[in-house]
Amino acid sequence: MRAFWVRAALAAAVVASACTGSALAQRDEERPGYVPTPDEEQLQPQFQRQMVFFRTNEPPGTIIVDTPSRYLYLVQGNNRAIRYGIGVGRDGFQWSGALNITRKQEWPDWTPPPEMIQRQPYLPRFMAGGPGNPMGARALYLGTTVYRLHGTNAPETIGTAVSSGCFRLVNPDIIDLYERVPVGTRVVVRQTPVL
Amino acid sequence: MGTLKKIVLLIGLTLVPVPFAAAAQAQTLQAVKDRGVLNCGVSQGLYGFSIADDKGNWSGLDVDFCRALAAAIFNDASKVKFVPVTTNERFQVLQSGAIDVLSRNSTWTLSRETDYKLNFGGVLYYDGQGFMLRKALNINSALDLDGKKVCVQSGTTTELNLKDFFNTNNMKLEEIALPTAAETEKAYDSGRCDVLTTDVSGLYAERVALSNPTDHVVLPDVISKEPLGPAVRQGDDQWFEIVKWTLFAMLNAEELGVSTETLDAARKSSKPDVMRLVGSDGNFGEQLGLTKDWVVRIVGQVGNYADVFTRNVGSDSKLGIPRAENNLWSRGGIQYAPPIR
Repeated sequence: MRAFWVRAALAAAVVASACTGSALAQRDEERPGYVPTPDEEQLQPQFQRQMVFFRTNEPPGTIIVDTPSRYLYLVQGNNRAIRYGIGVGRDGFQWSGALNITRKQEWPDWTPPPEMIQRQPYLPRFMAGGPGNPMGARALYLGTTVYRLHGTNAPETIGTAVSSGCFRLVNPDIIDLYERVPVGTRVVVRQTPVL
Repeated sequence: MGTLKKIVLLIGLTLVPVPFAAAAQAQTLQAVKDRGVLNCGVSQGLYGFSIADDKGNWSGLDVDFCRALAAAIFNDASKVKFVPVTTNERFQVLQSGAIDVLSRNSTWTLSRETDYKLNFGGVLYYDGQGFMLRKALNINSALDLDGKKVCVQSGTTTELNLKDFFNTNNMKLEEIALPTAAETEKAYDSGRCDVLTTDVSGLYAERVALSNPTDHVVLPDVISKEPLGPAVRQGDDQWFEIVKWTLFAMLNAEELGVSTETLDAARKSSKPDVMRLVGSDGNFGEQLGLTKDWVVRIVGQVGNYADVFTRNVGSDSKLGIPRAENNLWSRGGIQYAPPIR
């Protein structure tokens, strides 16, 4: 039990500094205020939301985040799942295991973390939720950690490893997911095997 | 050797000469090495599985499997002669010895093994009959196809499976059966039917050719079993093992996170599973008649299962087939390889 809390605390510490801001590494900068067009939010076919074959022991309603393949699955039962394309944490986010959704938020606010401010000093210290917010249209909070599944105003980052911790979906997808899952939903995170 | 063992062996020699005769012919690996090239039977051209471009360069999932074998044997994935064989003659060609392995989108069945004295080395690709329809219909399950008009090629097992599936699930079938695959596809594209059915790999291939490919979806349901894999002649256990474990090595490499990209890190790994796979611990390759670094050769020159799937039929190919059944057992699919240990 103690080991669990130590591990959970460590995990929280790792992402606390970065996750809320979803620092971009590939694309240099966040663009607060930028509102993507519906065309830009149209993903490549393999990352579009779709029903797929998916065999699992997890019960229907469970979310499974498979980071190596950049997919999030919402288990439907009968060997199928709704699959969403996601952007995932780049480095340092190696936590895997199970958490629960503890809070749901429409149009979450954004508070860039200090190191992001350092890199982009002109960023606002706080941005209220709404279109153009880098956190996107919805956020699903995971456990007591600062992990979350959220939207994005940078749809081109889906399918890549860019954010420093969280999992991002295009806004139409996070809205779809938000409508389908209640607080309490189990979220299983799977990582690339460590060599 | 103990006396008892000697006696048992002598009895074996006297009473059962046949396996020894078979063993005498069982020299495929040596023959391949002496020849300096692997003879690999492939299709006459099926995009994603085995197809030659106008310069004669072969590509595809089945092609890459033979390259993986060549990499393991010769440390040179290019030492493969691709021999196109027809659907009708493929198993006889393998029997004749003209090819060392048949890697030609062939379904593994009992009668194929017994009739032609073959062994299938595993499942390189789980195929099966599925359904494609227009997204606008907003149907997500094959169990919701009641009363829909379905285009199917007549006189095929596909047609029988279709009727069977609708009957079993108490759905009304409006079947539009046409004599060729091309006519069937055309009828679907023109809107004569709501649904098109054939093997899933075929549906994705046909989708590319439709007027508006993105308007169509392939349902996740699969209603028949078409496990495709490489086959060898019976009577050469060593060769059978090499073919089998080459496939398993590619799957295990993916499972352990060992890809072309991560191979250098994998060779330095101190994880026991990874060390056995890349040959830094044990001599598993040598026990097969290969070298310790056989998997390094395969993954380095050809890739792990995911590399090969993605490139040829998956998201990096124009087919864009999802991993689905062909995903690893641990990641939502049914691909499962016995461990290397």
